[in-house]
Amino acid sequence: MLSLHDVQKTYEMGETQVHALRGVSLQLLPTQFSVIMGHSGSGKSTLLHVAGCLDVPTAGTVEYKGRDLTTLTSRERADVRSSEIGFVFQKYNLVGNLTALENVGLPLLLRGKSAKYASARARQALDLVGLADRKNHRPSKLSGGEQQRVAIARSLINEPAMILADEPTGNLDTGTGERILDLLRGLADDDKIVLVVTHNPDIAGMADLLVTLRDGRIAAQQSLEVVR
Amino acid sequence: MKLNLFRLALKNIGSRRTRSWLTILGVLVGVTAVVALLSIGTGVQQAVLQQFEDIGYDIILISPIGGGTQGGRGAVGGFAPGTGQSVRAFSGQSPSPPQTDTSTGGTFSPDNLGNAAANADGNTETAEDLRDALRRAATTSLDTQLLLEQVPQLIEAGTLGTQIQPVSTESTSGFLRVSTPSLDFLASFSSVLGGFDIAEGASFANSIDNQVVVGARSAELLQLAIGDSIAIGDIPFTVVGILSSSGLQDDNAGASEGALSGQGLAQNLGTGNSADLVLRGLTNTDDALFVLNERASEVLAGRSMMSVTITRVGGGAPISETKDAIQAAIGQQEATGTPISIQEVADEIQGTLGMIETVLASIAAVALIVGGVGLMNTMYTAVLERTREIGILKSVGARDGQVLILFLFDSGLMGLMGGMLGLVLGSLLSVAGTRVLGPSLGVGSFAPVIDGWLVTGVLVFSFVLGALSGVWPAWRASRLNPVDALAAE
Ligand SMILES: Nc1ncnc2c1ncn2[C@@H]1O[C@H](COP(=O)(O)OP(=O)(O)O)[C@@H](O)[C@H]1O
Ligand SMILES: [Mg+2]
Repeated sequence: MLSLHDVQKTYEMGETQVHALRGVSLQLLPTQFSVIMGHSGSGKSTLLHVAGCLDVPTAGTVEYKGRDLTTLTSRERADVRSSEIGFVFQKYNLVGNLTALENVGLPLLLRGKSAKYASARARQALDLVGLADRKNHRPSKLSGGEQQRVAIARSLINEPAMILADEPTGNLDTGTGERILDLLRGLADDDKIVLVVTHNPDIAGMADLLVTLRDGRIAAQQSLEVVR
Repeated sequence: MKLNLFRLALKNIGSRRTRSWLTILGVLVGVTAVVALLSIGTGVQQAVLQQFEDIGYDIILISPIGGGTQGGRGAVGGFAPGTGQSVRAFSGQSPSPPQTDTSTGGTFSPDNLGNAAANADGNTETAEDLRDALRRAATTSLDTQLLLEQVPQLIEAGTLGTQIQPVSTESTSGFLRVSTPSLDFLASFSSVLGGFDIAEGASFANSIDNQVVVGARSAELLQLAIGDSIAIGDIPFTVVGILSSSGLQDDNAGASEGALSGQGLAQNLGTGNSADLVLRGLTNTDDALFVLNERASEVLAGRSMMSVTITRVGGGAPISETKDAIQAAIGQQEATGTPISIQEVADEIQGTLGMIETVLASIAAVALIVGGVGLMNTMYTAVLERTREIGILKSVGARDGQVLILFLFDSGLMGLMGGMLGLVLGSLLSVAGTRVLGPSLGVGSFAPVIDGWLVTGVLVFSFVLGALSGVWPAWRASRLNPVDALAAE
């Protein structure tokens, strides 16, 4: 379980302060497909970053496996990201001069695994997202949907306990987006914590937990287990 | 894992090809300069040291003129045998009547020498000193037999007289340096005469006939062959041998046509280094004629103008003590002269070479630093360009240290590539350079020294230079906040 307690995040912009999160408390469970919605600028991405050890909150705690992630050193946070968390971004964020296979294997290389092992595992992961025949393509030679599937394969390569996706279908057409969401939805059934930020109201229907943010606060929180 | 980061770095270098190559080029230029200068420098040093090795470090020569630094310097510098001065009369290659009058313009005489120097330099005092010194030298002579008794550390001693004589062949005439070694001297100290290596004919057969051995360049200039006749001081001599070339540059080649001009002399006065010049004068046999002392003392008597005494120190005796003893002995003989050990000459020349090398190395170092700055700039730009990539790496679990290493590898690799290419180019350059420089440095033929130390040193250094230039940009890259980095365009 990942539990955020009274998380605040304030950005200092010279004289002015931007309060991106104003006290958010939230609990995310494995097997739960959690969705965050809200207007642009409401703090969705910030929340995702704080939850994923990519950024530290100004105040509040983020507890995971009995540890407060906000107190970790930069190196410990990197290791948590490496072993526990997989990110999927709206812009895919693949490394441009690496092939699909290399992109997927990268997290393993960074953990000190051999190149041979990394590419074998990466091949499996690409297989899983249906891109076995695209493994030697560079991102620029792949469609948006394919790139996002590569990104999902990469997020899964270290067998993380949680997948955090920030508007993963934002750049995709409806059909492709649905396939991506199915993929993510399936991961929750694999006992992972899955948190997806989206604008897409259709996704809300699939959610086990739907959180709506407004101005850095939780405006509404619904458990929709009934729907399933 | 390092290997994987290494691959990643390679890919990155490849992905920004043009700028990478420009950066590598910057390092390459610096490394090329360093390699060329160092290998040539070491080559020159080894060649020079080999020359002294050949002569022998157990030799102390006694320069005829005292006071190693003041008047003596100029005097010996100007009068050093082997400066090829008297060749001038032959340089026209046209027959002219024998000139026995030593005061005739354009040929050698102490007076002309002084005037020429004075005119060129406007420095009358130096010219006066020179003339005095020459006169003193002409009258000074050490008794080598007595010297050996006075200084027990010495096992051998011999005197090499040098005269300037009017010389004429069938086709041409002028003044040349005539060295007069004794048979004993040739047996003991041929190393001082560059080995006295006969290329054609033979060495002196006896001390009864008027035989002459001719230096390589003199033979060429006078168009002499074995058996030819040549008049030295109006006395006929037969050419029995021609020496092989010493490979040394004519000292005055820088001045006009290798002749002793006032300019050339002034240069010698200004830059001359006594020990060096005396020694070079001896080892450079190319412009001299050799007549046995046994013969010369009979037919050319009374014309000796300068003599250098060469001594050999017995096994193990300390050189500096022996030198002191020799100095004392010279005093007792009421002669003048300064003992100079080969070691001193070697040290002096090495000092000069070392200084030149330092200057060249500094220039090379500047080139390297410029290359390093270029690299730093490239890496800095690379960090800016790759900010988002850094964010990606961090989001998938890269530690700060890994990002740092990745960038250091990147810049180190570029340094290394520059180093490898620079090594190749510098080696080629130094091989070509030695061809050009060899003669003008006066060390004859020598090869650049490119040994394992230089190769490893350059490769390690260029990698470290590359990595160091990348330290600051890489450190910045590693410290980037992942979220900020991901937000970058
Ligand atoms: N790095 C930052 N510096 C300053 N302000 C920021 C930064 N990131 C986000 N913000 C601000 O914080 C607020 C929340 O941003 P964000 O979490 O990205 O919103 P959302 O993802 O819901 O669009 C916005 O007002 C945004 O301008
Ligand atoms: Mg956002």
